[in-house]
Amino acid sequence: MSFDLGKISETLVTGKVDDLKTLTGQALETDIKPGDILNQGLLPGMDTVSQRWKAGDMFMPEVLRCAKAMGGAMEVLRPHLSESELGNAGTIVIGTVAGDLHDIGKDLAAMMFEGAGYNVINIGIDQPNEAFVKAVKEHKPNVLGMSALLTTTMPRMGEVINSLKEAGIRDQVAVILGGAPVTEEFAKEIGADLYAPNAGSAVEITKEYLESKV
Amino acid sequence: MKINQSINMSTRFRVLSEDQIEEIFFAALEVLERTGGVIYHEEALELFKNSNAVVRDKKVRIPASMVEEALNFYPRKITLKGRNGKRSLQLQKDTVGFGTGSDLPFTYDRKTGERRRTLYNDVRNAGKLVDALPNYDFFMSHGIVGDAPNTQTYDRHQFLAMLEQCTKPMVVTSVDGEGLEDLWRMGCVLQGGEEEFRLNPLFVAYIEPISPLKNDRTAVEKLLFAAEKKIPAMYTPCPSSGATAPATMAGMLVQSLAETLLAVVLCHLKNPGMPLIMGGVTTVLDMKKSTYSYGAPELSLASAANTDISKWLNLIMFSTGGCTDSKVLDEQAAAEQMMNLFYAYLSGANLIHDVGYIDHGTNASLESLVMNEEMMGMVRAFGKGINTDDEHMALDLIEKQGPGGEYVTTDHTFEHWQEWYRPTLQDRSDYETWKNNGSKTMIDRVNERTQHLLDTYEADPIKDDQWKELKKIVDDADKRHA
Repeated sequence: MSFDLGKISETLVTGKVDDLKTLTGQALETDIKPGDILNQGLLPGMDTVSQRWKAGDMFMPEVLRCAKAMGGAMEVLRPHLSESELGNAGTIVIGTVAGDLHDIGKDLAAMMFEGAGYNVINIGIDQPNEAFVKAVKEHKPNVLGMSALLTTTMPRMGEVINSLKEAGIRDQVAVILGGAPVTEEFAKEIGADLYAPNAGSAVEITKEYLESKV
Repeated sequence: MKINQSINMSTRFRVLSEDQIEEIFFAALEVLERTGGVIYHEEALELFKNSNAVVRDKKVRIPASMVEEALNFYPRKITLKGRNGKRSLQLQKDTVGFGTGSDLPFTYDRKTGERRRTLYNDVRNAGKLVDALPNYDFFMSHGIVGDAPNTQTYDRHQFLAMLEQCTKPMVVTSVDGEGLEDLWRMGCVLQGGEEEFRLNPLFVAYIEPISPLKNDRTAVEKLLFAAEKKIPAMYTPCPSSGATAPATMAGMLVQSLAETLLAVVLCHLKNPGMPLIMGGVTTVLDMKKSTYSYGAPELSLASAANTDISKWLNLIMFSTGGCTDSKVLDEQAAAEQMMNLFYAYLSGANLIHDVGYIDHGTNASLESLVMNEEMMGMVRAFGKGINTDDEHMALDLIEKQGPGGEYVTTDHTFEHWQEWYRPTLQDRSDYETWKNNGSKTMIDRVNERTQHLLDTYEADPIKDDQWKELKKIVDDADKRHA
């Protein structure tokens, strides 16, 4: 049976959550490899979304709806993918540092990563430094994302990086920072790898960085 | 279902109470009875002589009963239609249309940065922008065509320049009665004859008396011609408070209303039922610089009050907004234009003109037209008011998402964020994104947008046979005045 993976891309761009889930299920019933469904169906769709978002032709609620659709499709697809196929996009641990209860920016970034096909482990708000270290050890992500909205909680980010060094796992992950008071300078100062000025740009900045490392 | 509810479907704003409006109206009637107005036009004086008015030499005094009677005869609704029949504009109570001003002698040259005479092509370009930008509802020439072959026929050339790239309804100025006749004939060519023009006029004729209480020959000539042919026309006083009107806002409003009511009676005597529109550029004379101010807060205040009066009188209103005294498009321009745009809109005036004026009504700027597009959008978004029905109160959604939840991925957000205003020129990005995109200021973005529109936009063209007919009317006028 022939199956048009382009249709998966198109449906993803329209953000129809249920339709995309159904289509992904149908694709799995054919002899198409699950990896191809991801790489030739879903990811090209998300590429289109991120390009349109960047060009200002798509708006946040639309992009997040697509991300939601992507997440739904991945639920169906993930059990059929091998470790290496899964690793294609990457894994990110993301959280807000201790003392800070603000989460919308961090959650938006998490949704964007999920939409881009990442396996996202969102450890939540007000997380002590050890929780970040523990999650990195446990999930072995390519990326660790930290956010802070308060100038008073920003120093916790540097402390987490130091804890990663002490645990000898700093080199295993790219550390990306976000949050309104955070700047590129601050990120460099405390030894982070990346900084995203807004939730929408985090995925692209990370993608470029990871590709440059390969 | 509840009873005894009242709901604001839009934002509400008014300056004058009904009692105050009545006071101003009675005072204006008193002015017409006691002080009267002078008229430099024989036919108009004859019309008054044959009525209950009292005419002494050129001065006419009018009894209140004549005003009250005449006021019953004016339409409360006019539908203007653009030259291709598509861009129609309803003029009726609290329906607001925005448009440019007209006849600016100078233009800010985009290439040299210098101020120079306005030319045919500048008017054409202004029309193109007005056609392209959705918040503009009607077009006045913006500039005055300075390169027409003859100053006695410039109005016909100007109308051609306006028509070339703009399909929206218009407000036109004319040299004299003969000029207005030619413009009207051109309008009839485009609308499909005199009768069609009467039902769906292409334009409103702009006519103004001279404050205080003076009516010159050409203005009255135009007014009587408009009345005869039932061409929509406004007789719009332009008093400067403290110089050609009392220094008090109330005094200026009284006198300006008396000037309007004189035209109300005159047009009624000429031809009952002509579509007369009330107007007024009511502002102050700057006492330091002796200029007629387009950016004074008093302009906004008096104009909004004037609109309150027009609604009480059941007259369609021509008002003022989006204009500034600043010589260039800068911070002063933005502040003044936004203020008078905002209050003119909230007042509910039907035709808000002078949008984009800089340099107190002497200098034309295409960039200013583009910047005002954004401001009109913002103002309109504010005017929408707040819907408080169940769907908009979102009680179930608040419960569903709960403490610490988020709304950005909900269907409710997906549907309703589209009700918000979407800026096209304002920058709301974070600092780094802004910096990475070249640290552009508002003026930089306005410039880019202006150039882009001028380079890429083309309006529906005028049909060849119609264009020939229009040209013939203009050529004939040039021959007559050669």
